[in-house]
Amino acid sequence: MEHSDILATLKTAIIDGDAAMAADYADKALAAGVDPLMAVEQGLSQGMTYVGDRFESGDAFLPELLMAAETFTAAMNILQPALEQMKKDRPPRGKVVIGSVKGDVHNIGKDIVATVLGINGYQVKDLGVDVPSLTFIEEAERFNADVIGLSAIMTTTMPYQQEVIETLIAKNLRDRYVVIIGGGSVTQQWTDRIGADACGRSAVDTLEKLGRLIKRK
Amino acid sequence: MAGILDVYEKALHGPIMTENEFDMRVFVPQVRRVVKEYEIRYDARNPVPTDDAMADRVYEAAVDLVSSTGVYCTDTNRAMQFSREEVRRAAAEGPRTCRVGQGRDTRIFETRCVDDARRPWFLVGSGIVSSRDEYAANIVEGYAAIAEVDCLNVPGMNSIRGLPVHAGAPTEFYATLRGLRIALDAIKRAGRPGLAIVNHHPTPAVAVTNIAASAPQFGCRQTDAWLCGTIAEMKVSHDTLNKVAYLKTWGANVAAEAGPMLGGYCGGPEGFAVLCTAYILMGQLVHQGDYHHNFPFHFKHICSSTRDVIWGVSLAVQAAARNIPIPTLWAPYAAAGCATKMYFYETAAVFLAWVTSGAPGIMNLHPAKAVKIDGITPMEARFAVEMGLAAAQLDRSKANELVLRVMEKYEDQIADAPPGSCYQECFNPETGKPGDEYQKLYDAVKEELAGMGIPFNS
Repeated sequence: MEHSDILATLKTAIIDGDAAMAADYADKALAAGVDPLMAVEQGLSQGMTYVGDRFESGDAFLPELLMAAETFTAAMNILQPALEQMKKDRPPRGKVVIGSVKGDVHNIGKDIVATVLGINGYQVKDLGVDVPSLTFIEEAERFNADVIGLSAIMTTTMPYQQEVIETLIAKNLRDRYVVIIGGGSVTQQWTDRIGADACGRSAVDTLEKLGRLIKRK
Repeated sequence: MAGILDVYEKALHGPIMTENEFDMRVFVPQVRRVVKEYEIRYDARNPVPTDDAMADRVYEAAVDLVSSTGVYCTDTNRAMQFSREEVRRAAAEGPRTCRVGQGRDTRIFETRCVDDARRPWFLVGSGIVSSRDEYAANIVEGYAAIAEVDCLNVPGMNSIRGLPVHAGAPTEFYATLRGLRIALDAIKRAGRPGLAIVNHHPTPAVAVTNIAASAPQFGCRQTDAWLCGTIAEMKVSHDTLNKVAYLKTWGANVAAEAGPMLGGYCGGPEGFAVLCTAYILMGQLVHQGDYHHNFPFHFKHICSSTRDVIWGVSLAVQAAARNIPIPTLWAPYAAAGCATKMYFYETAAVFLAWVTSGAPGIMNLHPAKAVKIDGITPMEARFAVEMGLAAAQLDRSKANELVLRVMEKYEDQIADAPPGSCYQECFNPETGKPGDEYQKLYDAVKEELAGMGIPFNS
């Protein structure tokens, strides 16, 4: 099979959210001698960019994005060992611990951010919902994270974003982490007031801001 | 009708799965299947659809969806299963009316039909936070002073005695009581002591604080109503079931609440229309709602005035009006803030579409996506009533023409909508009256919309 056909099919598998096909063609790529980095960059990532652009423009929705990400992961499970062996695996751009704060069970926005960061080179540990403030910090330490992401949708759960930051300060850990917050009611004013590093308006906005913030740290 | 323990029993015996499995392996595929099988098709050119056959198919798709996916309990990690017969019975045997309020302020919330000339039920207000007690008091009094208002929401409080209100903390409990006291005094000053308060306090996010504050000794009345929510999408928690159990045992009104998201797990407008309808069924099966409260919005724009949301909800409203005779309140969000022309254009478009489609009840649009502190005034409530009464004079076809014209005035600004003003910037906080500038803007927009054919004061 032509390498170009394999790359095109990997892209299509992402767009169609077909994890089985992606895994199959990841295997085929390796068997055919396709550079695994090329398979990622010119196959899988092309598909993710296409889906991501359609999601941003409102032509694709959350299921398509999540299925594309699952498909990407399925293929990467095959390609990653080869990348590591060839020392072509890229170090993560950063390590992120993310979750919805204590008392908040909303997760969709947080899940999207976690997915977008994951497929853009970040290593992400998703702590889920209703996460106590200390747990964010303990997990960030355990994971050796660079970033703590705090999602709060309601005005009554936003104070827990402040609590995490205050706890970091109390433990002399504030400078160790970039803290990015998000949620429907979160404003720049709130972000500045509690001393968070940034407020992510959307998954793409979060990605862009993290890129700049991590470089600075 | 099953009791809460019967419902809970299903949460103990349904198939076990992770939440992600429910979302991606059950819910998403089933939504896609029913949209395809029942031939639900979005028509962007007609935000107010008039295809009755498709509305009926949306209902059938919703029945199919609920019976195929079940409802996921996040605390037991099981999907509660409901047969098609149970789902249809929930639609057929649900409450036809809901009584709220006391004495002269008693109101009966009823269903409406498509193209119904009867006025909708009006819920006004928002849980938008008020930074001062006097603002909250004036705002609530302003709502209650509008004669057509049937029930109201009261402002939220985000601090008490300088302490931030944390979900689940004692501050949340005390903030609820303070907000309730302010609201009860305000409705009495307006001469409407029996007016129903819905969701006494938007602040209590957690059942324990909500239940603790929801008691007669603190001023709550059985004839008020409480929002008992879902988790997106089609999920419920012990928290909600506990609230429902408490309220049902007390005999208070349960408003089964859901916030369907266009662009979320349900996908685009077609799946969204089905989901909006499905939630009304879920509200009966699980929450045993005395009525239903849907707050639908676009996932990206966090408002309800986009073309696709207007279409999806119009279709769901019609599906329900034709097949599910349960009072349902539709609570939209505006992209623009108060004291902006765009806010009123958004209200006009949404109300024209949903009222003519048969919405039994409707709420003023939450200004600026409900995120701006002090970002609401009684003027938005007044416009909601005037717009609702006007829309009820029209039919869907006429509404569609008008919606298309009104949307031209704001649609391209949704992504970058004006945030609007705070209460104290456009109202006189001492007198509780609108400022001259806001009044002029209001009159000008109303005149403009009347010139387009919206029959205000008819």
